[in-house]
Amino acid sequence: MTKSKKEYHSTTSRRDFMKMLGVGAGAVGLGAAGVSAGGFKDLDEMMASPLAERHLPFWVKEVDEPTVKIDWDNFEMFPGPEGTLFNPASWENPKDYFDIYNRNIASTKKNVQDNVPGLSLKDRALADANCWGWGGRSGADLSAPWAGADVKANPQWEHPTMYYTPEDYGVPKHEGTPEENSRMLRTAGRIMGAADMGFVKLDEKTKKLLWGKITFENVEKGYAEPEKNKFVLPDKDLWAVCSVIPQSLWMQQYTERMSWASSNTMSYSRANIYANRLSVFLRGLGYQAYGGNTESIGRLVGFGVMSGMGEYGRAGILVSPQYGTNIRTVLVTITDMPMAVTKPIDAGIAKFCQACKKCGEMCPSGAISMEEKPFWGGDAAWQAKGIKGWYMDSKKCYDFMLGGEPDCSRCQTVCPFTKYDEAVLHDLIRISIAKAPALDSAIRKMDDVFGYGKEPDTKKTPWEIDPMDIPLYGLDNSRS
Amino acid sequence: MRLVSWIWFWYVLVGFIMGGGAVLIWNVLKKASLMPNWYEWILLVLSFITFMFMGQTFIASFQEVEPRAAWLSLFFMGVPILLMAVGLFRSLNKRYIGN
Ligand code: SF4
Ligand code: SF4
Repeated sequence: MTKSKKEYHSTTSRRDFMKMLGVGAGAVGLGAAGVSAGGFKDLDEMMASPLAERHLPFWVKEVDEPTVKIDWDNFEMFPGPEGTLFNPASWENPKDYFDIYNRNIASTKKNVQDNVPGLSLKDRALADANCWGWGGRSGADLSAPWAGADVKANPQWEHPTMYYTPEDYGVPKHEGTPEENSRMLRTAGRIMGAADMGFVKLDEKTKKLLWGKITFENVEKGYAEPEKNKFVLPDKDLWAVCSVIPQSLWMQQYTERMSWASSNTMSYSRANIYANRLSVFLRGLGYQAYGGNTESIGRLVGFGVMSGMGEYGRAGILVSPQYGTNIRTVLVTITDMPMAVTKPIDAGIAKFCQACKKCGEMCPSGAISMEEKPFWGGDAAWQAKGIKGWYMDSKKCYDFMLGGEPDCSRCQTVCPFTKYDEAVLHDLIRISIAKAPALDSAIRKMDDVFGYGKEPDTKKTPWEIDPMDIPLYGLDNSRS
Repeated sequence: MRLVSWIWFWYVLVGFIMGGGAVLIWNVLKKASLMPNWYEWILLVLSFITFMFMGQTFIASFQEVEPRAAWLSLFFMGVPILLMAVGLFRSLNKRYIGN
């Protein structure tokens, strides 16, 4: 990272600039027209523009240690996704898992039979449609294979330059400084579907964020033997490319029925498509890419924290200063392309969580801790020790949202950081949270008074509105 | 969505109205030989900024589908604007009568 902090912080995005002028969202169209009229001639020019830089608002500062305390000496590696509650074998009594599962099926069926708004046949069909590609339990798996996307040429019909590597072209692999590589990836990532990106060097500490089952061998290229649950990375300098995949804030107004249908699951599906694209991009430059699907790497929130894309919040999820908790996943791809690392950040978020507790109050299952201060926890088998944060009781969440109630993501929807970005007022609030924590309790109270993050209206569904009023992909277009 | 893509038109309209209003007020004050003194200037500028801020929050909150926030911002920012406007008016009026 050669850019000084000053340079980062003086970077004002086109949108911020328009907002500062008080021109608002409407005029962004004009701004966009201006930018595209100037145009970028190629990727180099795009990378050189301030648009490709890491944009941290001036009230968010980079810090050497993340705001969640991590005890790296006693930090437990979590074995793998099969150790989470999604696997019946990781329950003390697997029958509990199947009880919840059966309750889910029974209630889903009943809701469809009773034609409950938001849970009727067409809603479930939409949910399944948007889930396609996510993989795992959806049955239709588009997730990137361990050692990168499957890029075998299709002899039937192939674009002449599709999936070529530097060897195919007879040129050496792409060479750039770590800073140039980060900029290039940030540019490509935005184009391919990442809202934000950060980069973490894998060292003795951050390797602990990987699943414990991932091993390092002295090989030129990593490999996987999924039947043996064996995933291997080459023992050399590696970086984690972390990308935030945004989910639809617009669909979150239909929490907790429709959010499942078009917000959460479609983000997982887009994440898998994005991961494949990213691995093809890296491969096309002559570098390796590993993992990248939503379950293959490890502690995604941890990578989000260490790459400075957000702070660790009360609900155990990443809270981004720009996107709040409205992030479906942090997608992590491991590569051997040298990257300039991005540091953790302090935007006053973890501190604010101490006063806020809104997600905990609004959580219908009581899964979110209401302790004021973060604590060293991680005693359950499906948790891991090593951080001083708010550990949640995932079993309660699981039992509630998968065991018969419509799927829930209320903790994300109600978070004061999860907001559209139209009103200048929100920036002032974020500045205050970062700079004047004494006002945190008052800000939380005003958030309620102003009616933000309220109970979802479960009768509301999008089927009756003008389809042209639906943002494309349901994505929040207040952020460009 | 249509509201969003046409909203710039309203900002331009508001700009014209504000500009016109400012010229009008300036002329009235000039005619009455009432140039604002330093604290009247402060009140004038502060109430203008708060008014612009209130307008942005009001319109933007509707774009965000947060009507309660929109109306409450009118209240929370409108009351100080009103107080400043009353103070300004009284101060100018006192000097006008004194003239
Ligand atoms: S998803 Fe719902 S039940 Fe689970 S922690 Fe969040 S608010 Fe609670
Ligand atoms: S709702 Fe409040 S306590 Fe929960 S994550 Fe968001 S800011 Fe933190």
